[in-house]
Amino acid sequence: MRSASRLSLNLARLVCAAAVAAAAAAPLLLSQNDVVLLTEFMSMLVLAIMWNLLAGYADIVTVGQHAFVGVGAYAFFGFTALAGLDPYLSIPLAGVAALAIAVPAMALVFRLRTAYLAIGTWVVAEVLMLIAGKLDAFGGGSGTSLPISIVLSFGRTRGDRLAVIYWLAFALAATAMLATYVLLRSRIGVGLTAMRDNEEGAAAVGVNITYARILCFLGTAPFLGMAGAIITLQKLRIAPPASFSITDWTVFVIFNVVIGGIGSFEGPIIGTIVYFVLRQYLSGLGPVHLILLGSFSIITILVERRGLWGLVRRMLDDDLLPIAHKPSPAFRASALLLRAARR
Amino acid sequence: MLVPWINQLLQGILLGGLYTMFATGLSLSAGVMRFVNIAHGDFIVLACFALLVLTTALGLNPVVATLIVLPFAFLFGFGLQRFLLQRVVGQNVLLVILVTFGLSIIIENGLLEGFGADTRKVSGGWLETATVALGQGINVGLFQVFTFIAAVALVAVLDLLLYRTGIGAKIRAVSDDVAAADLIGLSSGRIYAVAMGISFVTVGIAAGFMSIWTNFDPASGPTRLLIAFEVVVLGGLGSLWGSLAGGIVLGIAQSIGGQWDITWQMLAGHIIFLLVLAVRPQGLFPRY
Amino acid sequence: MITATTPKPLLTLSGVCVFYGNFRAIDQIDIAVGAGEIVSIIGANGAGKTTLLKAIIGQADRVEGRICFAGAEILGSTTAAIVRSGIMLVPEGRRLFPSLTVEENLQLGWEVGRRGQIGFDDVFRLFPVLREQRRQRAGWLSGGQQQMVALGRALLANPRLLLCDEISLGLAPQVVAELYALIPAIKARGIGILIVEQDLERSLSVADRFYCLLEGRVSLAGRPAEVTHETVIRHYFGL
Ligand SMILES: Nc1ncnc2c1ncn2[C@@H]1O[C@H](COP(=O)(O)OP(=O)(O)OP(=O)(O)O)[C@@H](O)[C@H]1O
Ligand SMILES: [Mg+2]
Repeated sequence: MRSASRLSLNLARLVCAAAVAAAAAAPLLLSQNDVVLLTEFMSMLVLAIMWNLLAGYADIVTVGQHAFVGVGAYAFFGFTALAGLDPYLSIPLAGVAALAIAVPAMALVFRLRTAYLAIGTWVVAEVLMLIAGKLDAFGGGSGTSLPISIVLSFGRTRGDRLAVIYWLAFALAATAMLATYVLLRSRIGVGLTAMRDNEEGAAAVGVNITYARILCFLGTAPFLGMAGAIITLQKLRIAPPASFSITDWTVFVIFNVVIGGIGSFEGPIIGTIVYFVLRQYLSGLGPVHLILLGSFSIITILVERRGLWGLVRRMLDDDLLPIAHKPSPAFRASALLLRAARR
Repeated sequence: MLVPWINQLLQGILLGGLYTMFATGLSLSAGVMRFVNIAHGDFIVLACFALLVLTTALGLNPVVATLIVLPFAFLFGFGLQRFLLQRVVGQNVLLVILVTFGLSIIIENGLLEGFGADTRKVSGGWLETATVALGQGINVGLFQVFTFIAAVALVAVLDLLLYRTGIGAKIRAVSDDVAAADLIGLSSGRIYAVAMGISFVTVGIAAGFMSIWTNFDPASGPTRLLIAFEVVVLGGLGSLWGSLAGGIVLGIAQSIGGQWDITWQMLAGHIIFLLVLAVRPQGLFPRY
Repeated sequence: MITATTPKPLLTLSGVCVFYGNFRAIDQIDIAVGAGEIVSIIGANGAGKTTLLKAIIGQADRVEGRICFAGAEILGSTTAAIVRSGIMLVPEGRRLFPSLTVEENLQLGWEVGRRGQIGFDDVFRLFPVLREQRRQRAGWLSGGQQQMVALGRALLANPRLLLCDEISLGLAPQVVAELYALIPAIKARGIGILIVEQDLERSLSVADRFYCLLEGRVSLAGRPAEVTHETVIRHYFGL
């Protein structure tokens, strides 16, 4: 029984590695519409990974994640369209801008205990969105479009452009995954996991939890900001309610992670995949779509709070990516594949 | 020259009354159960829609409609706590936040599905338009004055309930130490449920006043939640009279901000909140 | 091993096991307490004394065996029902509600308990200092006074069986002596008392019988007069 389970686990890891390789080559294999969809998937994946890191590990339950996505979008627009900087350079700069906003935001909301911090982050997001609506250079309350010259700098034809934007999104998602993986395997990650499982645990591991939480909060901001920039590249315009959309960049993200499995590395990935599959069938339902997702996530919390991955995990020996253990040979193989795929 | 500002100041204070009403229920649940109900604002809006149906479909007087809603609100809050929130409370704040967050989205979209996105209002009849002249060209709405008085009364009644009654002592006891309460046979689950029921009665009352005072639509909940939350933090967590002060501060900030430039109304409120959070995180009137 | 000595014990535990997850904190314990009897449970840190009391009061997650009180099975009942049937706990560390006044703390005991003869006046007679302090917040009292409130709160529930968990914890010897001096008066009302202490001398001095716990099992039981100090020490530490 156990060896069968171990076999299927290794098989699953191989499938994952193959999927990563295929994803890297997606624009060569898929139609333009599918590439667009996959780009969206990668952006959502980044958002899900970041939210999971904060809520699932660092005890920072934010409901204001859309703040940094919006800041990234606006900063990207500012750097390219207004300041005339290189469009590719503007993407990491958007991440820097999000980081710059994250510092004072953190100073404020960290004054609140976890339960209140959630709404504190929401207030911050609301303030940033309202301010964005007051920036005339950015089109004020109704927003504005990305100048065509900037759009073209990512590729002359639509196909080229979509491929480039996709690869940017893919690279960001891969970096996000790798960064979280490294973080969670570090001493800090072990400390955070210990804290999540048991209050005194972290102290025993000897990790400064305040420092770890600060690191996580500030670490997620640039990723969210860069995701905001890539999302802007896809949507080709900025506008306060769309760039700072709580529904798109926070609500869906939370539901994805909760359903996939909060507090696990695999959870956000599974959740985002499930979300994109479900969306094909549900998005025509309008508000019912969200009602269903909301109900699913509440049921998930009541039944198995570690989500779908928690359910699967009951049947497996090990995590797909062994965060808590020494890497197995199979993992090393898939990591090699992963690295090869990125080249 | 000065008159419009004085006028706005007065309007702000009165608006603070409404905001206090939004906040009392949240203050109670946050103070006692140590979690923030993210769906608080949506429940206020849900109650507004209930009042809308009662007043338009059945043609009831808004006061009567509110009185009808209150017992149901209590039962609803009691049941919600007993059968849903109690399952996740006390383990991990994360779970409560997520469950109430899910509820918030369900309510918003449920209302959207049922009533559409139009903004609505409940008619308050003559009371809505009656004004009191204070001289110098300053007029305040009778309904607004009435709301403010009701808010003060609500805070006073809740204060008496918490500090002068048996159930109040039990609520404060579980708020002090749930595990100790369980050890001596106070059923914390029931007491939590009663507290949530009371919190929902205040939600019903707040809805009664809000539905006449302002427009609302299915997406109005989050704004109300943020206001309630800011009022609670401004006033000092768990302090009821503090919420009245917090409500007034926020009301004045919004009103003055709005007088300066109407688009600054909401922003001015948020900024005052963040400023106070920065310099005085314990709030204006901390309980301890 | 001694089980019931009084003809009809008030409380009997038979074959009780208590688990935290897979860890067996209490293992196959048989204990009895009669009306008006003082039974002492002694044992080192982590022996399972508090766990045992929690199981009796209905606050342990997983309990096996039988717990009978006044002829009825109480295992599986809610704490509220158990308290109403006449068992009340003085918790380890007192566990008062610090922001409530002394009077309110006492009142809660009265409200959760069964109706009986013990009223506020009796408590104030036992602990006169509480009458003066009754409007004071419990959190502001000295440790000794807090322990008096905790005892008073429990007595106001009019228990037939009182469970005391380390009432001497953190108190000056003088204060402990005063508290223990009151135990016979409580016993005289026909109340059974189960006293948990780490302090051997103190608790054996008032007890009619005792049980010594070692890693969740009864390592020794008997009457204080029947055993030597050395025997107790040996079973206390499991030497
Ligand atoms: N909530 C808990 N979860 C897991 N294990 C527990 C828990 N509470 C107690 N234990 C374990 O059960 C055993 C018995 O603990 P208990 O508190 O009953 O001991 P005790 O005899 O009262 O000790 P002390 O004299 O220190 O109060 C100990 O090994 C303790 O570590
Ligand atoms: Mg103990």
